[in-house]
Formats: sequence, C-alpha cells, structure tokens
Amino acid sequence: MATETPVDDEVDRGPFERWVRRVIRNPERAYRAMFYTAMIVFLFTTLFPFYWLLVLALTPFNRLANVGLFPNGFNPEAFVRIFEILPFHIYMLNSFILAAMTTVFVLVIASLAGYVFGRLQFPGRGPLMLAVLAISYFPPAAFLLPLFRLFNGNVTIGLFGASISSPNLFNTPWAMVLPFSALFMPLSIFILTTFYGQIPDGLEDAARIEGTTRLGALFRVIVPLSAPGVATAGVLTFIMVYNEFFFSFLMNDGQIPEMLYESGKLLYLSNENHWAPLLKGILGFQGQYTQLYNLMAAASIVGVLPVAVLVVVAQEKIVSGLTQGALKE
Amino acid sequence: MGRVTLSNVTKRYGDVTAVEEMNLDIQDGEFVTFVGPSGCGKSTTLETIAGLTTPTSGTITIAGREVTNLPPKDRGIAMVFQNIALFPHMDVYDNVSFGLRLRDYPKEEIDRRVERAADIVQLEGMLERMPDEMSGGQRQRVAIARAIVREPEVFLMDEPLANLDAKLRVHMRTELQRLHKELDTTIIYVTHDQAEAMTMSDRIAVIDGGHLQQIAPPLTCYNEPANLFVAGFIGSPSMNFVEAEVTASGLLTRDFDVEFDPTQLSEIAEGDAVTLGVRPEDVYLREDRETVANPTQPIPARTDVLEPMGDEIFVYLLTGDGDAQMEIDAEAEAPQNQLLMSVDPASDVAADTDVEVVLDRERIHLFDTESGEALSHGLEFATVEPGRTGTEAEGDD
Repeated sequence: MATETPVDDEVDRGPFERWVRRVIRNPERAYRAMFYTAMIVFLFTTLFPFYWLLVLALTPFNRLANVGLFPNGFNPEAFVRIFEILPFHIYMLNSFILAAMTTVFVLVIASLAGYVFGRLQFPGRGPLMLAVLAISYFPPAAFLLPLFRLFNGNVTIGLFGASISSPNLFNTPWAMVLPFSALFMPLSIFILTTFYGQIPDGLEDAARIEGTTRLGALFRVIVPLSAPGVATAGVLTFIMVYNEFFFSFLMNDGQIPEMLYESGKLLYLSNENHWAPLLKGILGFQGQYTQLYNLMAAASIVGVLPVAVLVVVAQEKIVSGLTQGALKE
Repeated sequence: MGRVTLSNVTKRYGDVTAVEEMNLDIQDGEFVTFVGPSGCGKSTTLETIAGLTTPTSGTITIAGREVTNLPPKDRGIAMVFQNIALFPHMDVYDNVSFGLRLRDYPKEEIDRRVERAADIVQLEGMLERMPDEMSGGQRQRVAIARAIVREPEVFLMDEPLANLDAKLRVHMRTELQRLHKELDTTIIYVTHDQAEAMTMSDRIAVIDGGHLQQIAPPLTCYNEPANLFVAGFIGSPSMNFVEAEVTASGLLTRDFDVEFDPTQLSEIAEGDAVTLGVRPEDVYLREDRETVANPTQPIPARTDVLEPMGDEIFVYLLTGDGDAQMEIDAEAEAPQNQLLMSVDPASDVAADTDVEVVLDRERIHLFDTESGEALSHGLEFATVEPGRTGTEAEGDD
C-alpha cells in the first residue's frame, strides 16, 4: 500500500492531467477557474457589441463594407456629424425629460402605494399586491392597440347624453410617460413597500403628534429615512424608461419641433409638442435610400453615456438598496 | 386650559376589547399616571387621547374641545415615546423645532423657544448633534425638549423612562417632576412601574384588563385600595392576602383568627368568604406589640427566609405549623400560609425559628373574595377585650 501512492506522483501524464490532479487536491482552484471562465464569457458578450459599435462608428461611410475586427480607417468626425445632420441632442434631451418625468411620477405614486402596502393592515392587502405584481408580467404589446386608439382621440365615452372624446396625446410626452409609469410602477412599489415597512411606527406617530398628517409623515420622515430604497427605485425606473423601445417607437412619429429664428425672432414653428425620444434620433440616420450605419453606431454610443454615468455614480446605492430590500423581506 | 375628559371610551380590535367604558376627568395642571401590568390597556387609552387610535365609542375632550375624531396635530398635545422616536436624519435643533417649523413659526420665535427648551432640559451646546451621537438619557431629554417647545396643553408620556438604565431612570424621575413644577402643564404618564407612579403623580389611575380600577392620589391607592387588584399592584413588596371566613366573632383563617364584630360592617354577613390583606410593614413581632395601638392576638409562625435590605429586613413567615402549604395549582406563586413581614434591621430575628407576630388592626384591609371589592380598611372599631379569646387564637393551627 505504501508503495502504491508514490507511483501516482511519479507517472507524468502531461500538463492537463497535472492540473486536474492539483484541482482535485484543492477544489478552490476549480471554483476560481470557473469564475474566470464565466467572467470572461460574460464580459465578452457584453462588451463586444460596444466594441463593434465603436469600430463601425470610426469607419468612414464609404469603407463600411467588409469591416474586420479593426476599423477600416479612422473617422472620429462621425461623433460630430450626428449632431449636424439631426439635432441629436434634442432627442437625447427628450429621452432624459421623459425618463425624469416618469421617475417623478412613479416615485410619488409608488410612495403612496408603498406606504399603504408596507405600513397599513387592511383586508385584501395580499390579493391587491398580487394584482399589482401581475400587471408587471403583462406583455406591453397587449396594451398597444387600446392605448394607441385612446391616445389618438378615437375613444368616445357617452356620459349623461354628452360624449367625451379621449384627448389626442399621440406625439406628446404623456403618450409615453403614462404607459411607462404603469409598466414600471410595480417594481418601485415592491421596493418601496419593503423599505417603508421597516421604519418604526414610533417615528411616524411622533411626526403625526408633532403636527404632520399621515402624508406629511410619509414625505418628511419615512421617505428621507428610506433614501437608499427611493434612490434604487428612482434610478432603476429612469434607466428602464431611457432604455425602453416599444412605446418609444410606437407612440410618436419621430418628429421634434422645427423652429426657424431670424435675428432673435421666431419665423417658423412646426411640430410643436412632438417629443420623439433618443431611439427615433438613432433611427433618424436611416433614410429611405441610405443607411448611415456609422452615424447610427456613433449615436448609439453617445446615447448610452448618460445611463453609464448614472450607473457608475449610483451603483453603490442601487446594490445596497436591492440587497437590503431582499434581505429584510 | 389642559383639562382632559374621557367619557365611556371603548376600544376594540376585532373581538379583543383593549379598553372598556373608560371614564376619566383629569384636571388642568395635574400629573396623572396610568399604571397597570402590560397589556392592560393603559397605552391604548393614551393613544386614544393622542389621536393615534380612534376609540370604537365614547368621547374625548381636551381643554373643553371635543377631539374624538381630530387628527393628533390638532389636539394641542405633545408626546414622549418609550422608544424615544427622535428623527434619525435630523440634528437636535431640527428635531426639537420640527413641530414649530411645520406650523410656520417665524425663525426668531423658533430659535427663542428651542433655546429655552434646551435650557430647561439642560441640552445647551448640543443642538448640532445627531441623535446617534448621543446617550440614551440625552436622547430622552431631546424628546422631552421636542415636546415642551410647542407649549402644548397636555403632555403625554408613554413609558418614557422604560429604556433607560436604573440609575438614569431615578434621575430622570426627579427631572420630570421638576419639569412639571416648572411648566405647570397637565401630564398624563403611562408606566407599568408602580414605583414611578407612586413617586411622581398627583393621582394614579390603576388600570387592569381594560378597566379603570381606581383613580386616586398615590397614598390613597396605597392605604385605601379600592379592590384586590389595586391592593396587590401598588406597593412593593406587595400586600399579604389571607383567605378568611366571616364568623360571629370575627374572621377565621386557616391558621389564625382576627376578632371583631362583623355586625359593624354592613357589607358582610356570617359565612361570607373574604380576603384579609395586610402590608408587610403592618406585621409586627410580638415583642414590638406595644408600638401598635391596636394589635391582634399573637399569631404563631415560623420564619422561613430573611431578606436584609439594609434599612429593613423582609421576613418570610409560614403561619401555623411552619410547613409551606402549597396549593396544587400552577398559578400559586407562594405558599398559601406565607406571610411577609418587614422588621427593623436591629431586630434579632433568625431564619427557621418559631416566633409570634401580631397585625396592626387599623391597617387590616378586607376584600370580598368573589368580587375583589374592598369592604373595609382597618378593623379597629370592634376590638374585643384581649385575653378573652387569646387562647383560642393560639390553639388554632
């Protein structure tokens, strides 16, 4: 028996077998190897499209055919051209404003819902929360036709003999903010419910004794103390709206206001209240006869930047907010 | 003025009645303490006064105004909580001035009042601190400052000292009394600690099972408890209770008699089951009977355990033959024939010796065993000449 063990060590079966033997003795090595493999695959699949966008953006338009792993030439001018051909910054601003409006809307309403679900006991609380959750599972496409007709003034409600037409919201921010809010509200409600539920009753009682209403206690005491949760819900909503495709694509005609000024005087204005978002800006480089792929690529990169900055800045808060909610529930 | 009246206030949670038919009239400037065991309804009563809970029925008036359905902010009250409940995201100044800022007081007025409140509770120079940088006692003082700064008609205090350590608790007790003297505002104070209730209040409201048992000045609750619950709850250590039966010549208990003329008490008749109550300090050794104006016949007993407290010694006696008589009953905490006596530390009393004790007849309480209601405080009115029944009393074990 004593003579058998050294045999195993002496037989040299090559580098892979030696590695396997070490791994069997020390399983930590296997986990580390698996971690690095998974990380590299993940990083590659995530970052390669960005690299590919950069390659496309830097390649001059006339050399776009047969692009390899490296750009065919170097044309950073594309990042300037996107703002010259179209007012791309307006599209970005529109997306930013839509996301901000939705975030405010969602935070205010989800705070009220979170307060009720998190701090009050009432019959039907469970089923109601389930219903809210169910809404977030619906495919947005299911809402498209009714909402499209509603927002185009095609729905008429008869009321006491008078008939009321739905307002014409197509192209306006509301045609996008309302569906966005409805779709992204449930997640925020769940995050805020968890956070608000953890604030001790005594603090709310103290605020009410000191002179606030229940609502006042919510916004003056409960919300500030739940800052990580509110930040998480806000940032997630902002990013989801900014990244949204479906309603951003279908609820506007891709136009933004056109204005002509001469010596400070407005001469011409059309398309007022047209609020096409970032998405339509990127697709705007796709004409009837030409597809300016290099500009679309450049626009995509520029469009990602605000969210990338936001994530880097708020990353810590988001992670702590999500895990805190997850652990305490 | 800060007069608080509760009439027929009832609070039910589903099938559970937390407070039932509570009637209270608290005068302006009075310091009233709600005391009772946990879950007795004292905090719920306070919450209905505060407006944090709406009573199921009944009305509450504060300063002559009916407030039953008003929100807390419109009731002219301030409250100090057991868990202190300072807003953790605000510094002391913001915490104290919170209510004033909500009511849009001018800046100078807020500053003036915060300064004064900080001065009263000795928090000068701490206005910039955050609550988590302060000790428990300091936080409690901030909570009190937050309450007094609005100059409310009524202060509500829900076990404000319960989370403090014992030494600080005693200190804050005197501070609260000083504060009451200084502000002269109505204070309603909730505690489960009868010592706090005894030391601070003008009147004590003893509450049990959602019912008001007695509301009276502390010494009245102590000397003339309205029923068995109050008698047992107020006073530490608590009163001795002995089951007894009314006979033609007085009371007959398991181990001794107390002679008196039962016809003098209209509430009782021969054969009634009553409970005799006597406080430890009203039990005397036989050799000290001269200090008592009106002692009972000597009662034979055996000393069991001594608890020297320094200023007095608590002596646990077993009456009768000196064996502990335990009832087969899980609720019984002590032997039925146990009698607690408090004696002077100079007494040479030893454990496990036979002694004879007397009770101060003027300090004997009689309760109806069935209803618990007090029948009489003191049995001095019907002394039978000593000697006539002395041998009978001694012969009875």
